[in-house]
Amino acid sequence: MWSRLRRLGAASLVLFLVAAACTGGTSDGEPADGPTITVASFNFPESVILAEIYAQALEEAGYPVERRLNLGSRELIFPELEAGNIDFIPEYVGSSLVVGFGLEAPGATDEAVERLREAFSELGMTVLEPTPGEDTNVFVVTGPFAQENGVTSLGDLAGLGEIVLGGPPECENRPTCYAGLVDRYGLDNLVFESIAEGSARIAALEAGEIDVALLFSTQPVIKEKGFVALEDPNDVAPPENIVPVVADDVIAAYGDDLVDLIDSISALITTDVLLDLNGRVELEAQEPADVARDWLQDNGFLSS
Amino acid sequence: MNGDRPVFDWGWVFRNLDVIGERILQHLAFTGLAVGIGLVVSSLLAAAAIRWRALYGPITGLGGVLYTIPSLAMFVLLQPLVGIGFTNGLIALVTYTVLILTKNIYTGITGVPDEVREAADGMGYRPVRRFWEVELPLALPVIVAGLRIATVTVVGLVTVTAVLGLGGLGFFILDGFRRSVWFPTEIVVGAALSAVLAGLLDLGLLALQRILSPWRGAS
Amino acid sequence: MTELIGQVVAWLTDASHWVGRDGIPARTVEHLWLALAPTSAAVAVAVPPAVWLAHRRRFPFLANAVVNVGRAVPSFGILAASFVFLVPLGFDFRFWPPAVALFALALPPVFTNTYAAIAGVPRHLVEAARGMGLTERQVITRIELPVGMPVLLAGVEIALVQVVATVPLAAVIAGGGGFGQYIVRGFAQGVAGRVEAFAGAVLVAVLTLGVQGVFRSAERLVVPSGVRRMRRERPVGRAV
Repeated sequence: MWSRLRRLGAASLVLFLVAAACTGGTSDGEPADGPTITVASFNFPESVILAEIYAQALEEAGYPVERRLNLGSRELIFPELEAGNIDFIPEYVGSSLVVGFGLEAPGATDEAVERLREAFSELGMTVLEPTPGEDTNVFVVTGPFAQENGVTSLGDLAGLGEIVLGGPPECENRPTCYAGLVDRYGLDNLVFESIAEGSARIAALEAGEIDVALLFSTQPVIKEKGFVALEDPNDVAPPENIVPVVADDVIAAYGDDLVDLIDSISALITTDVLLDLNGRVELEAQEPADVARDWLQDNGFLSS
Repeated sequence: MNGDRPVFDWGWVFRNLDVIGERILQHLAFTGLAVGIGLVVSSLLAAAAIRWRALYGPITGLGGVLYTIPSLAMFVLLQPLVGIGFTNGLIALVTYTVLILTKNIYTGITGVPDEVREAADGMGYRPVRRFWEVELPLALPVIVAGLRIATVTVVGLVTVTAVLGLGGLGFFILDGFRRSVWFPTEIVVGAALSAVLAGLLDLGLLALQRILSPWRGAS
Repeated sequence: MTELIGQVVAWLTDASHWVGRDGIPARTVEHLWLALAPTSAAVAVAVPPAVWLAHRRRFPFLANAVVNVGRAVPSFGILAASFVFLVPLGFDFRFWPPAVALFALALPPVFTNTYAAIAGVPRHLVEAARGMGLTERQVITRIELPVGMPVLLAGVEIALVQVVATVPLAAVIAGGGGFGQYIVRGFAQGVAGRVEAFAGAVLVAVLTLGVQGVFRSAERLVVPSGVRRMRRERPVGRAV
């Protein structure tokens, strides 16, 4: 009886371990000699779609890929980058400089990319070519709110009494977000309320529980709901073209073929493409992996 | 809220059966590993507490405090040691099982009547054999009861690890919530399947206990 | 580690963290309200039917089934689902979604312990009371409830402790959440936020133990001294 139990226990433990191992490996490309490329993403849909696009294209070309998607905010991901646990991430130029490295973000994209290259080279990572498309932080109000209060620009919020800005928890202390707004527009009347997920901010904004919400400029929901993105003449939100950031040892192992493949994808990602891809996930409830596959097929990176 | 979309979109479920299957496996593996490791750790702690009774109070006291730490805070505290991700989530989950399991193993083993122990000694059982063939079988219903609570609790907690990019079925809960037009189907699928998984594992453990100790019913 | 503890103490004693809508007093009130309202509602909803069913010895399997099903449904899922269904109807997102999830969390232990408390009253006490001519209503209020009170209150205590420790979950996906705000903000800021997250966790633990202490003191007033001598295992709460 009891030896049977012990065997049963051992067997179930093995089963668990096997199941764990099964969920670990995700690559299905041709086996290649060289390091597995760990592709990561931040915790919002666009980042997951972009990571999937690059990951699937790499897999198709035979590179071994492992995914670590939806990992978290930049503040959580940077320690992982520094520790060398991530080989590839689609980054956003401005936020990466300001939030990731604590540097100033120049207004011109080229300059910002150069500065980011220097910063990432210290971590043993290379910044590849930026996408033409851009996704900046935007601060939106509802259409009726904009009309009633005559607000078109962030500076217009100054004279309105207490205004509540809903943003993710990390927004409060970021110079590209709440802290920057108070600073650069002198908005002493702006109060911050932490609302972690964008969808919850949209609901709170519609319900009138908050006055201003932080969203991304490439979220089609802004147009859908008739929200007004406030102008930002004092550049609190820096330029945010997307740059694939790749570990140096991955580039050393796979060379120009890998870089060319990634660059050729990046060149096609315009702001309109981002709006379209986001719409399919956020409004139509398609899955990021499927949306990425369809786009890659449409653009000839994957055979259909 | 989402106009033309049905409240529950079966089409999405059928289109994504493969992903759902993957997440179920991930959920099971994560739960199994956490409870398995928790069982090993708790066995050692309970053994120490049985050997040195004075340790029982401090062990369960510390376990009780760890038990009230919200999981998100636990992830942050572990981050400098193990980073963000699988190991981090696993350690947090294991921590939550230790109090329940240690208590029940200790209570089960120490609850074996002294007469039974003496009778076994009288029959010439050595301590090791006495443990495996007398004490453990008698303690089993109490231990399995703790295992059931720990397992069901962990299945629920796995969903929260979605904020670390893991989450098993909890991924669907967060993902459905994350879309700017909410997708309730995904949330319901994640929550309901997680509940079903917990129920099935609970019944499975109950059945296991009935097989292993047929001389008494479930406690 | 000692450095971190020092920083956490410094954070907790920093005067600027004790004022305003994000200060510790305001968050304490928010946290307590989010814990006490759903737990009270669960007591109001679960105790009467559990007492009646146990008194009539109806559906003995129900007590176990309720607690098992209740434990299996993830609070995280209920929270997200109630957010999605309630907020568009105009319910305040800071209160109602977490309140519903916490109510669901509190219900099973209250129901199950109440059922067990009443069903566990020795039969001879009940029979003796009936023999003395007490009505069924009097049997419940004068015998079963007082004698079962420790077990019943143990259920409320389990629920309360779980709920206090779970309030922070609300902050994970949306807003509110009492001390959860500190934990979530700390979490989202990575290394820079570790002190704040740790401080939030300490506050949750302190509040949990404080609420438990107050509850046990209050319990002494409610439980008759004769019944109090029956010892019981102290429950522990589940954090989420």
